[in-house]
Amino acid sequence: MLNCKVNGKEIKVKQGTLVIDAIKQADYDVAHYCYHPGLSVAGVCRLCMVKIGDNPRLQIACNTPVQEGMEISNEDEQVKDAVKWGLDFHLINHPLDCPICDQAGECELQIQYMKFGQYDPEMAEKKVKKRKVVDLGSKIVLDTERCILCSRCVRFTDEVSKTNELGIFNRGDRSEVGTFEDKPLENDYALNTVDICPVGALTSKDFRFRQRVWYLKNQSTICTGCSTGCNVKVYYNEEGLFRVKPEFNEDINGYWMCDQGRDVYKFVNKDFRLLEAQSVTEGQAEPLSAGKAAQLAGEKLKELTKVNGPESVGVVVTGQYTNEEYESLFDYMVNKLKVKNIYHWVNNSDTMDDFDGLLLRGDKNPNTYGLKEIMKKYSIQTNMSDLEGAIKSNTIKTIVVAGPENQAVYPDFNERASLFSQASNLIWFSAGPVSAATSKHTLVIPTKTYAEKSGTYVNYKGTHQSSHKVTTIVRGALSLSDSVTLMSGESILTKPVGPQKAMKTNFFVNKSGEL
Amino acid sequence: MSIVKKPDWKANWYLIGIFSGLWFTLKTMVINIFNKDKMPTVNYPEEKYEYGPRFKGNHVLTVKKDGSVRCTACMLCATNCPANCITIAAAEHEDPTVEKYPISYEIDILRCVFCGFCEEACPVDAIRMGPEWQTPGLGHQDFHYDIQKLAYRANLKGGVLSRVDDEERHHAGI
Repeated sequence: MLNCKVNGKEIKVKQGTLVIDAIKQADYDVAHYCYHPGLSVAGVCRLCMVKIGDNPRLQIACNTPVQEGMEISNEDEQVKDAVKWGLDFHLINHPLDCPICDQAGECELQIQYMKFGQYDPEMAEKKVKKRKVVDLGSKIVLDTERCILCSRCVRFTDEVSKTNELGIFNRGDRSEVGTFEDKPLENDYALNTVDICPVGALTSKDFRFRQRVWYLKNQSTICTGCSTGCNVKVYYNEEGLFRVKPEFNEDINGYWMCDQGRDVYKFVNKDFRLLEAQSVTEGQAEPLSAGKAAQLAGEKLKELTKVNGPESVGVVVTGQYTNEEYESLFDYMVNKLKVKNIYHWVNNSDTMDDFDGLLLRGDKNPNTYGLKEIMKKYSIQTNMSDLEGAIKSNTIKTIVVAGPENQAVYPDFNERASLFSQASNLIWFSAGPVSAATSKHTLVIPTKTYAEKSGTYVNYKGTHQSSHKVTTIVRGALSLSDSVTLMSGESILTKPVGPQKAMKTNFFVNKSGEL
Repeated sequence: MSIVKKPDWKANWYLIGIFSGLWFTLKTMVINIFNKDKMPTVNYPEEKYEYGPRFKGNHVLTVKKDGSVRCTACMLCATNCPANCITIAAAEHEDPTVEKYPISYEIDILRCVFCGFCEEACPVDAIRMGPEWQTPGLGHQDFHYDIQKLAYRANLKGGVLSRVDDEERHHAGI
């Protein structure tokens, strides 16, 4: 450990720590664009200037390692002046695009200008005009004019995704970031460049112009796109989820996430959801509330297990629920109804163990390992292929399916659904609509998605991660554990919320956007 | 604290007050009959009073030289609006020099408090508050003003030209 002083505050840092990290560790703001802790040091933005000891010249903090007894100051007048006029240089050719720029509101230029800049521009020359709205494939739009050449994105494609698409072309004030001949930027991690871009040069096509960032709230949760379980932040408002960004977790995803994970939020939004339960009796569909449907399902199961015995009931579970939900479902099925035919529906067994070397895994379920643990705990050893024979030979007459939240990653979804429909009774828990479930007596119960419930997911290496409820999108939906409580004949306790508390917590009603 | 006062002795002489008031009415009436031009009131609704251009009345969306709406859908007016009456949906424009434009811009004029914050927030002089103040309508649907009404209503005669022009700024090197 090394001792150093940051603005007079004594701290201890690890050997090899950079001065910029030491300043951050000491809780001081430091202006910077090009430095990113997940990438190599470039030292091109020249904004993180600090004064070290009595050294008459300022140094950049991002490329200077801390040494024993270093006295660092970034609140010196000399430093402030350097940062201020450094910013002026960055903004010489930056267009006045904020009204149409997607980054406005979370733009580093805006933030740093308000914190460190606030000068009157002294540049009399005309701005250099560059190319705007350059289409870089299906995910990204590039605006070379807004770029401040921090080279974060270039370093990302060089070092992290190792695809080397991006580069800086031309020289001097005509330098432009871009791909060779505007070839599309289509690697699996391309949207990370949008996240790390401090300005609005790289914008995501999916999020482009859909919402201003200051209208969105964010909350941390776990990505349920695959078994890696990246820590993410979802950005949402009262209409639903809008985008997903990675959050730093050293053990799991570092600073990054894959582009497929960024699409996971889509099935959560109302357009793709089952809004109320449906009871289909011989083609006659009848809508009813989820709670009522769950109670009905419970009564039905009780009766059927009494008449046909617990062997006639089969339960199919997917790896997309939380540990708590599995626990309540297994407890109900095994201990109360004595049902032992519980099957694990594996969606893509061939690609299950695929791994692209960075984050993306072939197992598209967030909690396969949690499900396996629970099945081991209740000593259930079944094989999904046995179910087909059992349905055809009519030994299993009732099927309960805890279906996938994200149906898009289940290529065999319709095929399986029609197989389950051959049983005479079908109870299906699903977040999205299930049109393929056409059994004689079908009950489809809407469930909550990962953003609407709290719970624990176990990732590919057995790390237990808890995620918290973000928002409610479908009011009628139930979590699996709530439905199980209702099925077993108990009621779900809801805490009454007083009017005053409701007013306080309702962000969207009492607080319009803030700048 | 309220103090109840006993009627003053002067209150008994109220007739003087009444007659002086009536005298004033009579005098003004006679003056107005002979000097109709100087009369301070107007015969509404046959005659209408024209407010100055700085009056904060109904909103106007300005247009560009080619006649399209100037608004860039930056949402600053909607953000600044204390009544939450502005709803904008942004979309990508075919022309890359325009890039972003409002596909719908609605003002719920019944919610509007005519504070003028939208005008103040607008970075491109796209929304102004005009001198119009009469807003008749038969139902709720008549009070949701859309782009058609805000920018191209008949009395604007093809739209009000915005002062901020992108092309001019581009050539000026801004």
